[in-house]
Amino acid sequence: MWRICLAIIQKDCTILLLRGSSVLHAILLGLLLIFTFSFSLSPGDTLSCQTSATIFWISSLFCLILLFNQLFAVEETNGQRFALSMLPSPPFLLWLAKTATGLGLLLISQLVFLPACIVFLGHAPSPNTFLITLANITITDLGICSLGSLLGALAQGQASKESLLSILLFPLLTPLLLAGISIHSQCMEGLQENISQWFTLATAFDCIFLASTSYFFSFIYSDDE
Amino acid sequence: MYLPFLAIGLIGIISAQCLIFLYAPIESTLGISQKIFYIHLPLAWWGLLAFFLLFATSILYLWKRDLRFHFISLAAGELGELLAVLTVATGSIWGKIAWGVWWTWDPRLTTALVLCFIYGGWLILRTMEWPLVKRATILSVTGIIAFLDVPLVFISARIWRSIHPAVFTSNGIGMTHEMILTVLFSIASFGLFFIGLLLLRIKTLEKELFIESIINRI
Repeated sequence: MWRICLAIIQKDCTILLLRGSSVLHAILLGLLLIFTFSFSLSPGDTLSCQTSATIFWISSLFCLILLFNQLFAVEETNGQRFALSMLPSPPFLLWLAKTATGLGLLLISQLVFLPACIVFLGHAPSPNTFLITLANITITDLGICSLGSLLGALAQGQASKESLLSILLFPLLTPLLLAGISIHSQCMEGLQENISQWFTLATAFDCIFLASTSYFFSFIYSDDE
Repeated sequence: MYLPFLAIGLIGIISAQCLIFLYAPIESTLGISQKIFYIHLPLAWWGLLAFFLLFATSILYLWKRDLRFHFISLAAGELGELLAVLTVATGSIWGKIAWGVWWTWDPRLTTALVLCFIYGGWLILRTMEWPLVKRATILSVTGIIAFLDVPLVFISARIWRSIHPAVFTSNGIGMTHEMILTVLFSIASFGLFFIGLLLLRIKTLEKELFIESIINRI
């Protein structure tokens, strides 16, 4: 059964990466956001670390919306959604495959956003907080991708799927984003005592989102009548 | 069935105003502006209860696949959103008098507003073109996930050092006997009115489905 999961990941990655434009669109949107925010600066000015971290995560979130729309549109536009829901494996594996693919693609996108933030917004995580930055990005991404996977499946077939996904995703992810932004900001301006509280909050939300979305995915993806 | 609840609730809410302005003493620090608390607290509590009802009936719908649970969750979601918006609005009016600003970066205020947005998004889902059963399933799933954010409203004030006043603390209730009586009466009156509105909305939703089924048959 795990082979099916790997096959779906391989299929999605092949289609999205080889088609090129899909992932590129998402990365370009994120880059444009970072670039546009840099217009608010006068020459020689820098944004606060918290603002810089917020812009990084907003770009990641918009990128995520495009990525998950495309991940589910692959089957939807070709009329293969039912074929996928009839796979001889539990729907959980389909959710896992989509979440893992989305996570991988988002991490690739953030590899571009991170240097872009350093260049355009003027703040970089200090070298001794590299591991904390990495842990923060991974933990926050895990939560947002799991929820993105569920809501991406939900929004498919709707004419206004991008806006629907944004309206649902943004408020639900606020606590997790708050933790992600706070930790990211501290990695740039210096660690504070409450960093462990933020990590606890992010991990707690990861657990809640992973457990609930993996369970409810089958209701959303298979219940079409 | 809803009429007695609405009538008694309405009489209760009017009577509560008399208690608020004639019986309950004026709070020494906050003055007359504290009176809004007697409306703000019932709105907040019944709003959260409505969201819990939405959560519970969503689980029941997914378990039993009975559309009656879906109608209860729809009615509870609409009322919960209305009460949450009114809670934020009354809190904002009080904040302008007490803190001098309509809005401030306070975790409990922000998370309460986030809840309004979450359930606002949930209400938008209702307008999507899905078959009834699929829509009910999707709304139930999102209703359950949305409720996972509700406990954050409670704990946020403790974690993030809120400036929002905490009336019920581990040291006891920071109110006089008259104030407690007034707030309890207000909560009960709003509760009866809430139940009346909920029953009325469930009935209209059932009628709506009935009319739709007749139109579809024609």
